[in-house]
Amino acid sequence: MLRKLFHRLRTRLRGRKIEGELDRELQFHLEMETVENVRRGMSEEEARRVALLSFGGVERTKEAYRDIARFRRLEELWQDARYGARMLLKTPGFTAAAALTLALGVGANTAVFSVVYATLLKPLPYPEAERIYTVEIGIPERGLSFAGRIQDYLEWRKADTAFSAVAALQTGGWNLTGNGEPERVGGARVSVNFFEFLGVPTALGRGFAPEEETPGADKVIVISDALWRRRYGADPNLVGRTVELNGQNHLVVGIASPSLLVPTGTQLHSTLGFAPRIDIWKPLAPTQSELEGENFNTGLLLRLKANESAEHGRQQLEAFYYDYGRKAAPEMKVTLATRLIPIREIYSGKFRLRLLLVFAASEILLLIACVTLANMLLARIAGRSGEFAIRTALGAGRIRLLTQVLTESAMLAVAGGFVGTAVAYSTAGMLAAYDPTAEKLLGGSPLKLPVLLFAMLIALLTSMVFGAVPAWRASRANAAQALKEGSVSVSGGRTARFQFSLVSVQIALGTALLASAGLLLHSFVRLSRFDRGYEVERTLALDLNLSGRSYSTTEQRVEFYRQLTENIRGLPGVEAVGAVSDLPAMGVSGMQTIFYDTDTDFMSVVMQRPGAGQRSASPGYFAASLTPLKAGRFFTEHDQTPVAVISESLAKRLWPNDPLTSVIGRAIREGDVTEPLVSIVGVVGDVRLGSVERELLPQLYRPHRQRDSSRMNVVVRTSGEPGALAASLRSEVRKLAPNLPIGTMRSMKEIVSASIAQRRFEMLLTLAFAVIALLLGVVGVYGVVSYSVANRTRDIALRMALGATPRDIARWVLAHGLRPVFIGAVVGLLGAVAIASSLRSLLFAVEPTDPLALVAVALILLCASLLACYLPARRAAGLNPADLLRN
Amino acid sequence: MTKPKSDLLQGTLDLLILKTLALEPMHGWGITQRIQQISSGALVVNQGSLYPALLRLEQRGWIDSEWGVSENNRQAKYYKLTRSGRKQLAEETENWRRLSTAIEQILQAS
Repeated sequence: MLRKLFHRLRTRLRGRKIEGELDRELQFHLEMETVENVRRGMSEEEARRVALLSFGGVERTKEAYRDIARFRRLEELWQDARYGARMLLKTPGFTAAAALTLALGVGANTAVFSVVYATLLKPLPYPEAERIYTVEIGIPERGLSFAGRIQDYLEWRKADTAFSAVAALQTGGWNLTGNGEPERVGGARVSVNFFEFLGVPTALGRGFAPEEETPGADKVIVISDALWRRRYGADPNLVGRTVELNGQNHLVVGIASPSLLVPTGTQLHSTLGFAPRIDIWKPLAPTQSELEGENFNTGLLLRLKANESAEHGRQQLEAFYYDYGRKAAPEMKVTLATRLIPIREIYSGKFRLRLLLVFAASEILLLIACVTLANMLLARIAGRSGEFAIRTALGAGRIRLLTQVLTESAMLAVAGGFVGTAVAYSTAGMLAAYDPTAEKLLGGSPLKLPVLLFAMLIALLTSMVFGAVPAWRASRANAAQALKEGSVSVSGGRTARFQFSLVSVQIALGTALLASAGLLLHSFVRLSRFDRGYEVERTLALDLNLSGRSYSTTEQRVEFYRQLTENIRGLPGVEAVGAVSDLPAMGVSGMQTIFYDTDTDFMSVVMQRPGAGQRSASPGYFAASLTPLKAGRFFTEHDQTPVAVISESLAKRLWPNDPLTSVIGRAIREGDVTEPLVSIVGVVGDVRLGSVERELLPQLYRPHRQRDSSRMNVVVRTSGEPGALAASLRSEVRKLAPNLPIGTMRSMKEIVSASIAQRRFEMLLTLAFAVIALLLGVVGVYGVVSYSVANRTRDIALRMALGATPRDIARWVLAHGLRPVFIGAVVGLLGAVAIASSLRSLLFAVEPTDPLALVAVALILLCASLLACYLPARRAAGLNPADLLRN
Repeated sequence: MTKPKSDLLQGTLDLLILKTLALEPMHGWGITQRIQQISSGALVVNQGSLYPALLRLEQRGWIDSEWGVSENNRQAKYYKLTRSGRKQLAEETENWRRLSTAIEQILQAS
């Protein structure tokens, strides 16, 4: 179809040329005929004559040829286009406004689509990516879910199942030392088949060999392209050299492909270790103790066989974990449910809904742009009804008029589309910052061919939508009537009424968008003002992870952090300092079930006991983070017997009816009924985890000395601007441990702000869309009302002549203009509540019917519309009836 | 425009051209010669219907054209079958077979 059109277009454009080509072709034919005749024994001259005779009329052939070549419709199209361009250029103001409106719609859409495409639609950079899954195991009754175990990987790769291959991944991080600044890098232990499994070979060197999965033989690494370029200047000789990881030499065997996309731990499962990006891969060589342990700390990736269904694979997995559950905890009678998650979902799943919301917002904006344009065109065509009437009278068919108007709007669409694509081009990069994964998925230029095609399609579709109605109107123009009335106001009541209903639609859409944005904004304000239970202002956190021989014992590690915090406390500008294993904003790395001291049978009570997040803290931590003490005391340096500080919510779950003070001194056990008793010395306020949106998670703190962690966050509360202390903190660390890299040093405010960055972004984007929508809506109201005033001047003059005061006239115009606004606003608000109810998960501490947001939106809308109606109303009131009637 | 001498049925010329081009890319004159040869002279294609037909086929996307050099070293426009042309040929061949069988049956019955 397209091809045909293209050919016709080409034929048309090369009109002259094609005629020449036919001449040459026929000439050739004639010559060949002549040659053939000569071959049959004729003389040259005779051969030519006979050939000409048998050839028949050359001109007739050409005529027949031309009939086909000439595409009449196309000629008309060309005419329309020229005419349309002339008309558009005659009114540059209108054209610019229309193209700009459209550009906003198309631009917003294309930019958002480029992200949608990259994260939800673009093929993942693995061969047959649709067959790769990860597995999640859960106990639905308890709302728990886990990743896999290393043993599962070992058994699954041997078993004959619906999966052709299985790979495993454990995330973590290492201290990279030697040549240059010590640095903390995110990394992963992966099964030796990892790179083959994904189907993405290393760019240099090799992946891992099977024998490298035994402990001791695993001191080999593959490093990421990014790290290779950044730290090693893309030195190809790095392969084969050794680098120092956690104080041990590792042989670099390969450089990963630059396009390699690997899931970070938390993407595979929320309980896996968090590594924001992975720069080093090491073979997963399970030690004996790992093989004996029961740790659900391994992300499993499975590749489905070509002829197998995912459901079959899932059933096999479920049967496997059923057996495992029966064996591991026969009395517990829990069934482990398994879920296969397509790999695409682990990249897009988290913000799929949010992205779709933003996408929907941009669609609504586009729709509003369409309606605005339709209204503009309608007014324009009403003004040109005389022209259409004359054309009809001269014999233009209805279809002809229709196509002519449509051509004009298509030209507008193309112009708007181009500007819109340019807008998209400049904003898509900003959108890429939406999510690091999206950035990686976008990879360089976000505007790939499918995205550009999308923009074109949108622009064209839009032109059809906003052009169709005015075109239809124009084509129905009644020639006789229009000519009789003169070209003043053929539009009459019907067009006006139609325009007003379009305004209603526009306002309804705009209100829905504005109200959604209002709800998101209110959610966001609530979220950022939310009391997290710890100090956010003037607090700095340093992420440290000890490794190597000098820190191999608990004593050494505890002493290091004690010494460091003491040194920092002595710095000027430091108010308090402490250390904690997991920052409150960053989630928690371990959970334990908490038992009463009276519990004796694990199996019978485990399901009823609460779980708590585990943290290790130095005595100074609570003061540094301003975690409030509710009862008892914090840790001291002198705690010898096992002690714990618990959060208020844990106390409430363990002893719902007892006052907090009575909890002090009671004993509990962590993890199992056989564990030693731990005495509670204090109760502190709860802290909100992660992005604060999750439910309160009970916390249990132990002194660092009693629960060792090599990784600690040193939390420093400062009297002034926290950033000012960065350099001296760095040098304190350096003094104590020259080779210890500082993972990150951020203010708590930054950490918290980063955890809500996505929300802020989508809120701002929706808000921007809503503001544009509001502007378009107001301009729409203004345009239609003033147009209607201009059309009804005689009407108004008559009313005035009959005794209406200017005030009456103004009121009449206002009422006239505001009625569609009211209708639209009510419909829009209802729509917004409906939308928000279905997107409840995106709201935070705000109901879909949040009165503040909705009332604010209604007020803004009302004020804006009043303003839009006021100007035409004033003009109408200022008319002089005598002048008007005389004319 | 009169029908060609052999009074080819509507659409039959298209089929013949497609079939001829299915063997190898060919210029207009070659097509007429080939049809004439294969049909042992029973079918003669008039250039007056050939070239419009070629253009029509090209517009439908069933054949493609390209200037090339002929066997006697002259500039000639060569036509070749496209993928959709090949599909069309299969379809039309099938149609033709059905039609001719039907006609054959009718003729035999009487």
